[in-house]
Amino acid sequence: MSILKNGRQALDDWNYIFKAELKKVFQDKGVLIFFILVPLAYPLLYAFIYNNEVIREVPTAVVDYDNTALSRQYIRNVDATPDVHIVAHCTSMAEAEQLIKNREVYGIVRIPSDFTRNINTMQQAHVGVYADMSGLLYYKALLLANTNVSLAMNADIKVQRKPSTTVEQDKVTQMPIRYEQVDLYNPQTGFAAFLIPAVLILVLQQTLVLGVGLSAGTDNESNRYRELQPINSHFNGMLRIVFGKGFAYLLVYLWNIAFVLEVVPRIFCLPQIGNPLDLWLIAIPFLLAIIFMAMTVTFLIRQRETGFMLIVFASVPLLFLSGVSWPGVSIPTFWKYVSYLFPSTFGVNAYIKINSLGAEMGDVKPEWHALWIQTFFYFTTTCIIYTLNIRRSRRRFIEMYRERKERKRK
Amino acid sequence: MKEITKIAKREYHRMKNNPIYWFSIIFAPLLCVVFFTTIMWQGLPTNLPIGLVDQDNTTTTRKIARNLDAFQQTAIIQNYPDVSSARRAVQRGDIYAFYYIPKGTTAKANAQKIPTISFYTNYAYLVAGSLVMRDMRMMSELASASAGRSVLYARGATEQQALAFLQPIVVDSHAINNPWLNYNIYLSNTIVPGILGIFLFMMTVYSIGTEIKEGTAHDWILKARGNMHVALIGKLLPNTLLFLLVGWTIVFYFYGYMHFPCNSGITDMLILMTLFILSCEALGILMITILPTLRLGLSFASLWGVLSLSICGMSFPVMAMHPALQGLSWLFPLRHYFILYVNCALDGYNLTNAWLYLVALAGFILLAIITTPILKRELLTVKYVP
Repeated sequence: MSILKNGRQALDDWNYIFKAELKKVFQDKGVLIFFILVPLAYPLLYAFIYNNEVIREVPTAVVDYDNTALSRQYIRNVDATPDVHIVAHCTSMAEAEQLIKNREVYGIVRIPSDFTRNINTMQQAHVGVYADMSGLLYYKALLLANTNVSLAMNADIKVQRKPSTTVEQDKVTQMPIRYEQVDLYNPQTGFAAFLIPAVLILVLQQTLVLGVGLSAGTDNESNRYRELQPINSHFNGMLRIVFGKGFAYLLVYLWNIAFVLEVVPRIFCLPQIGNPLDLWLIAIPFLLAIIFMAMTVTFLIRQRETGFMLIVFASVPLLFLSGVSWPGVSIPTFWKYVSYLFPSTFGVNAYIKINSLGAEMGDVKPEWHALWIQTFFYFTTTCIIYTLNIRRSRRRFIEMYRERKERKRK
Repeated sequence: MKEITKIAKREYHRMKNNPIYWFSIIFAPLLCVVFFTTIMWQGLPTNLPIGLVDQDNTTTTRKIARNLDAFQQTAIIQNYPDVSSARRAVQRGDIYAFYYIPKGTTAKANAQKIPTISFYTNYAYLVAGSLVMRDMRMMSELASASAGRSVLYARGATEQQALAFLQPIVVDSHAINNPWLNYNIYLSNTIVPGILGIFLFMMTVYSIGTEIKEGTAHDWILKARGNMHVALIGKLLPNTLLFLLVGWTIVFYFYGYMHFPCNSGITDMLILMTLFILSCEALGILMITILPTLRLGLSFASLWGVLSLSICGMSFPVMAMHPALQGLSWLFPLRHYFILYVNCALDGYNLTNAWLYLVALAGFILLAIITTPILKRELLTVKYVP
């Protein structure tokens, strides 16, 4: 009988705490910004920034010391590629460098005076490509365009030099072994399809931790004794508090997950070839791990504002730790271990694998297990911290009660 | 002057026992410096794992595989029996790409029947993908060339003649001032100041916002005898000195210790860092003026700070963004810092060469000076609502 009664009481308390936390979330403007507004607006903004995917028509200067039909053809072909746009024809390198200095062009193509003569005398002709290194994408675009043009022209020159009888033979001369380049999972080789999935996952994690931190900071400031939970008959029993609060956050974030992971990629036409069910199977342990991690970290947050300082800047290092912008295999061992502490590391990789690469659940098993281990680990630490906290507040409460009694006696 | 020292002392006492200041001004920025320069210590990633599907398996194809493995960026870690098992390895994240040589390649090449080899690159990891693609493409060109070369050698051509025949036009690429394509130079130079910027925004907002929150703004302005400029200078002085110390440490560490390219000389970078710190603080003042509540001001500061890193054009060029964003980028000090850094340290031109961006940085400071009366009115009237 008493178990039943206790159970009902527990459920009742759980329900109370759950509702109280939800109410608090929706009444606190600061928390609301990070729980609703940022997950809504930030992914859109980021996708908007990177939505052009690649850089086209990099402004480039040409210095043509040769000025023959062949060199002009080379320049025309480069200009015709989508990556490069020839905006200036300079008479000397110094003139072209001046344009770089004024940031009018981001690259120089230099054709030496012996260009055609070398080709006609069966020697190699060298074309110089100079790229501004303020962004690697300029370099990539310039190099790609020039390499493609030179390879295509090489193939034609070879045929001209070795006239043969049949078209078939010409083809062999052009390319004895042909090769085919297949770009998987990001057919435009674009920036958005590469970076946005990782950013989405990080936005979810960072806003959730910030929101929980803000909410805990408020509790800390508003409770009379600067503790994580108020003294109230319902806030009895650590599990009820942990689950009650945890589920409130989970409920809010289920909506965010649906929006951020399902809707945003669709709006911006990002690759999305995964099974939605698998995504949710990953999302649940991912959210739980973050929630309990956040609830653990909150003991550090004595003031509302501390959360900002601790959490915001970490987004950038976390992006690198997840192994997307810097290849995971090249991360030094020490930082590799550090990365295991954060749900985002596994969340980002699991999401990319499922969503962008179309992997199945079996392929993301390591990440799935890791997220559950994190959930369990952070759940334990949360319980420990809340138990200590409850004990402390109870002790203080009893002390106060005694003091008051003594005062009355006097 | 006396007032300024008085307020600075008052501020120092507020900071002394509050770990937030020490964490945000000293510890976290320096941690980030160490983090970014150590995580990318290689400069350019090496030995990225790729797979091989060699269904031909002749001495020729094995030689191609060996040569590909010998490239610096690429390491063949596994042979797969067929394409679909290699694809699954890509999906699991074991390899970034795989190289496929179908059955009969050698026989076809010998019979002049133009076989096709292919390579599949996972571009969902753009950096790693681009690097291994470059190697695989180069290898394919070489494989094709070597097939043609053996025919030429048989006809008695010298090596030079063979090369000239196979590759009449050669592209020599020159990466100006970062010939190693070093990612550490490319990214750390802007990310680290970007993170410093986040803290500059936040700490400026925080130190002014707490005056409102704790209801001490009256006392603060009273100590400055009502002169808002004096009040602000005194208040931000200890903060700024510490930030300058950290900023200069970063400059010396980058260009003195790490030997990142610094073609303009270190003085220009020190001046630039100083100006960047001041203009970030000025923008922080504007933020709390626009949203005179601590938590909203901090939200603004953090969102703006994090956004800086994307909109500054360091990784994805601003010129490829939507025109509206190109205009917006002027409101981010990091954008100007980035351009000036490229102008000075990377390209070695004078600071004055990019004077427009210097003016933009100074503009933030000017704007903050002009709007102080608004801030003063807010400080004296706005009440903190918990």
